[in-house]
Amino acid sequence: MSDYLEAQLLLSRPYLTKNQVTRAQKNTISDRRIYNQKKLTVFKLLTDTCAQLRLPRKTLETALYYYQRYHLFNPFETELCYTLATSCLILSCKQVETLKKVNDICTTSLKLRNITKLNQEYLENFKKRIFQIELRILESCNFDYRINNAVHIDEYVIKFCKSLEFESDIAELAWIIAYDALKLETLLIVPQHSIALASLKIAFELLGLTNWPIKKIETFGIDLMAVNEAYFDIINFYINAFDLCDLKDNLPQKSSIMVSIDAFLELKKKAGPEVGLIEIPSSEIDADPFISSPRDFAIMERRYVLSQKVLANEAFELNRSRDSAA
Amino acid sequence: MSSGSQFKQLEKLGNGTYATVYKGLNKTTGEFVALKEVKLDSEEGTPSTAIREISLMKELKHENIVRLYDVIHTENKLTLVFEYMDKDLKKYMDSRTVGNAPVGLELHLVKYFQWQLLEGLAFCHENKILHRDLKPQNLLINKKGQLKIGDFGLARAFGIPVNTFSSEVVTLWYRAPDVLMGSRTYSTSIDIWSCGCILAEMITGKPLFPGTNEEEQLKLIFETMGTPNEQSWPGISSLPKYNPGFPQHLPKNLKSILQAHCASDLDDTLIALLHGLLQLNPDMRLSAKQALHHPWFAEYYQQQQQ
Repeated sequence: MSDYLEAQLLLSRPYLTKNQVTRAQKNTISDRRIYNQKKLTVFKLLTDTCAQLRLPRKTLETALYYYQRYHLFNPFETELCYTLATSCLILSCKQVETLKKVNDICTTSLKLRNITKLNQEYLENFKKRIFQIELRILESCNFDYRINNAVHIDEYVIKFCKSLEFESDIAELAWIIAYDALKLETLLIVPQHSIALASLKIAFELLGLTNWPIKKIETFGIDLMAVNEAYFDIINFYINAFDLCDLKDNLPQKSSIMVSIDAFLELKKKAGPEVGLIEIPSSEIDADPFISSPRDFAIMERRYVLSQKVLANEAFELNRSRDSAA
Repeated sequence: MSSGSQFKQLEKLGNGTYATVYKGLNKTTGEFVALKEVKLDSEEGTPSTAIREISLMKELKHENIVRLYDVIHTENKLTLVFEYMDKDLKKYMDSRTVGNAPVGLELHLVKYFQWQLLEGLAFCHENKILHRDLKPQNLLINKKGQLKIGDFGLARAFGIPVNTFSSEVVTLWYRAPDVLMGSRTYSTSIDIWSCGCILAEMITGKPLFPGTNEEEQLKLIFETMGTPNEQSWPGISSLPKYNPGFPQHLPKNLKSILQAHCASDLDDTLIALLHGLLQLNPDMRLSAKQALHHPWFAEYYQQQQQ
């Protein structure tokens, strides 16, 4: 037992690159097609639950971040995904402070799944399962709540719009595009304000407007490569999976625009070469145990820190004590 | 913590709102820490207070705010690892009680503690975080005389206006009159009132407004600070629990009240600061930043400017 690792210290990494996400999922998702299908069903279930409970967009957004983040480090199981979705929503309500009774969230979600024979015993067992999963979700986020704390996509669509003095029709269209963006793994890759600005840019261009105010945007201090990453992710989604988008059936009432795959192909053509965040070479990703090794939940004590300094300090002391023992 | 743990669990330090706190030792670094063991609720799962505390404290790095180092997950238990502090202000003040008679702190110490409290609070407010439960038990001190704000279990981020739940905030004795009267739109001023109550308590060694229920709490406040009206506090009559029949009191002389329990002479600038913190109308209260620039702290900010 002497060489068995009993404690582990992990530094949080709230965002990963696209290749890192794909590499982590290699350990957890065996059938990508089923995973994607289920994700859309879960998306619908969470949307409907939020609508019934009158929960805002930010609650849905955070729940979807959790759902996808969970699957970076925990195996995807088809039977578990709806229970997991409910757990994500419960945690999201706590995180963004749209508090609801756990019982209410559970019963609404179960009813939407047509599970109507709800007795107390069933509900209690369901809750037990939910709470076990809740801890796993927290752990897959490294107990790092910086990302879902104060910045949410829909709120930033409005903020940017006001700041850039855009008309409300752009905001409305961007708000619908941002809803579609929640279906993407972009949530795991770039911060929410980047997705908000990318949605706004797409709306701006779809409305045929020119002179995107890049000079003013540069003053926001936002990482434009992250915005590009989100921009191309969203455009590619509309091009590759137009049938799955909600935009086509929910265009703003006052707007006369028509959206089609061609419209997005045209945007992509105008945008030029796809540029986004710098990718990390595969060899480096493979050599990174945080990404490439499955999480070992058998390790008795798993510690999560945000500060590089805490980690470095402890590593230094550990090496020093080992050296002196030798 | 089990024997295989990175931390050695030492004596119990107390019970928090949702957790039990132990002293601990980091076996690698030799540092003492405070280990806060979170109780998982069978009805609601991981307490939202714990989530709030983790999310807010991990972002707050300031020398007058207790640091949250890391979060440990062991089987089905969550433990938060905090910077260790020797005691809290309540225990410190209690330790100085002579017989049954409370004794205030020396005024130079009161000033040093209050300065640090306001520094920490100003940082919270700059980062758009309300503490909402400031009281001597939540102010931690160490042997070097450093004071740090702890227990962010009731804290919340602000900035985007939201409805607040007045029932879940602040221990009664430190609760602002606007919150007691049901205001749900409070902001940073809620913490400033608590700071005023704490300042007075450090001077005399006894709580300024020790009410046992909300009604008595308001009564005690009005008896000392005077009963507010629409003229002194525009909009008061629209607060949910405002009662036009509140007994009418004129403000008492705060200096005489406090001087009766304080051995040193209280100067007028200190009393002026107290009045700035304990304004009944929340809009009239000083901000933490303004309080730090109050003449009573001249020696500190002048030193900072040099």
